[in-house]
Amino acid sequence: MRADLAALSRILAVVNRTALWIAGIGLVLMTIFVAWQVFGRYVLNQSPSWTEPASLLLMSWFILLGSAVGVRDGNHLGFEIALHYAPHGLRQIMLAVTEVLVMIFGGAMAWYGTELAVETWSAAMPGLPIPQGFDYVPLAVGGVLIALFALEKLVRLLLAGEEVPLVRVDEPHLVPVKD
Amino acid sequence: MEIWVLFGVFTLLLIIGTPVAFCLGIASLATVLYMQLPPVVVFQQLNSGMNAFAMMAIPFFIYAGDLMMRGGIADRLIRLAAGLVGHLRGGLGQVNVVASTLFGGISGSAIADASAIGGIMIPQMEKRGYAKDYSVNVTVNAAIIALLIPPSHNMIIYSIAAGGTISVADLFTAGVVPGLLLAAALMITAYIVAIRRGYPADPFPGFRMLAYFLVSAVPGILLIFIIFGGVRSGVFTATESSCIAVVYALLVTLFVYREMNWESFVEATLGAVRTTAMVLLVIGTASAFGWLMAFLQVPQATIELMRAVSDNPIVVLLLINVILLVLGTFMDMAPMIIICTPIFLPVIKAFGIDPVHFGVILILNAGIGLNTPPVGSVLFVGCAVGKITIGEAMKTIWPFLGASIAVLLLVTYIPGLSLWLPALFR
Repeated sequence: MRADLAALSRILAVVNRTALWIAGIGLVLMTIFVAWQVFGRYVLNQSPSWTEPASLLLMSWFILLGSAVGVRDGNHLGFEIALHYAPHGLRQIMLAVTEVLVMIFGGAMAWYGTELAVETWSAAMPGLPIPQGFDYVPLAVGGVLIALFALEKLVRLLLAGEEVPLVRVDEPHLVPVKD
Repeated sequence: MEIWVLFGVFTLLLIIGTPVAFCLGIASLATVLYMQLPPVVVFQQLNSGMNAFAMMAIPFFIYAGDLMMRGGIADRLIRLAAGLVGHLRGGLGQVNVVASTLFGGISGSAIADASAIGGIMIPQMEKRGYAKDYSVNVTVNAAIIALLIPPSHNMIIYSIAAGGTISVADLFTAGVVPGLLLAAALMITAYIVAIRRGYPADPFPGFRMLAYFLVSAVPGILLIFIIFGGVRSGVFTATESSCIAVVYALLVTLFVYREMNWESFVEATLGAVRTTAMVLLVIGTASAFGWLMAFLQVPQATIELMRAVSDNPIVVLLLINVILLVLGTFMDMAPMIIICTPIFLPVIKAFGIDPVHFGVILILNAGIGLNTPPVGSVLFVGCAVGKITIGEAMKTIWPFLGASIAVLLLVTYIPGLSLWLPALFR
């Protein structure tokens, strides 16, 4: 059981890392696109029309992938005082409720993101030769990952009693995480 | 009733420790289900809330701040600040405030400011015999200056939350005087506390060294003028200027200072992704939450409530400030702005208060909230950098918090502090 859990966590760690790197590449590309837009306007005297929708699409990707990574690594900022002072059993319940709700939210995001993508698939995106529906794909993928990572934390909490995120009052969440 | 579902679920989840981004999202989803609206609207609002070209300025400014922190720009600004004010009493405390102001002028993020300046200054201050709580408190309060000195991505969030009707250039300009005022107030406080505790002053390095420090910091300082000048003159949009800040920071750290290597670059990029994703997810879910509040006519109810309490703008502003300070203790900056702007903007307009002036009040107020637990992200970062507990920092934070609140009151009741400079440019 523990070995299975560890194996699952290793796989999800790779997924997590991949998502983070894709998001990072997205940020770099976004920088290049917008820089190209400025360069095009002032140096080449023509504003490329694809840079704005393309960089917006990249931003959706890296926000939602990055958010999912944040769920797994416990980066999202919250109010932790009550968690800290709650007795052990209650704390487990509070953490479990949070993970279940985050999982449901992620699931809903994936479901309705897919629905939005399907509905708008036949329309063309202004400025780019791809379907409008692409706008909602990050929502769907990010939602799946958020639900998956929340599920992992829930399983680890229930089976191994691991409190992830660890409750840290003195070293709280928003510490920039080093890789 | 719907409104109680919205706020009730939000508060309950907040208490059990659900991250704020999800508190907002889940409360919105629950309310939509309760009202039997199609749940898809929540995700439409979420997506459109974070998906605007103007929003891109946020990742770019955060990214630029991360690059500057790791590529040697922050170090040189600190050295310049040390040359300028290190010889005053409590020298390193003064240096900290001036360095934060300069770095805030190029990064615009309070968290970047606290980790960049604090990361360098707190250990140095410790070595020279300053107590850690003093170092941390100076750092975290000085970091708030970054929110007011342009470029500040929070001003951009405010402009977007106000429906894009308020000029970013005006907001940027309006923050300058209040930012400098806050810097002055914190320097005075740092000075007084330093005298009481008997902290030393450093020797003046001489004008030759000072000139050298200035020259080596010039590439960083130039960025202030590029961004501010570009946005003010309308040559670039705020988003474009933020992207130029990233490119410029990369060029300077790679080719002028030559301190950027592959590891630091990756670290800065992934760090920026984590921070930005966090900020923008909250903005997305806060947009859904704000949309529901507008749907449930919360802003109208607030105006009526305010009118029932008083028709005097001075009282109303005080009331709004108190509400914002309380909200600020458990809300982070971005969701505060996204949620409070649509509620309070109609109120202040009804009372004849300038939206640009109110933007400065809102941002300074929410900024003070970043240093008050239970949710105080800048205080948390400062304590983590200084390796002290939040309780230890809180014991001696009061003079600095008091100075910040005094500046908030000045900014609130003297509109000229915010509006004089933008008027000069018109």
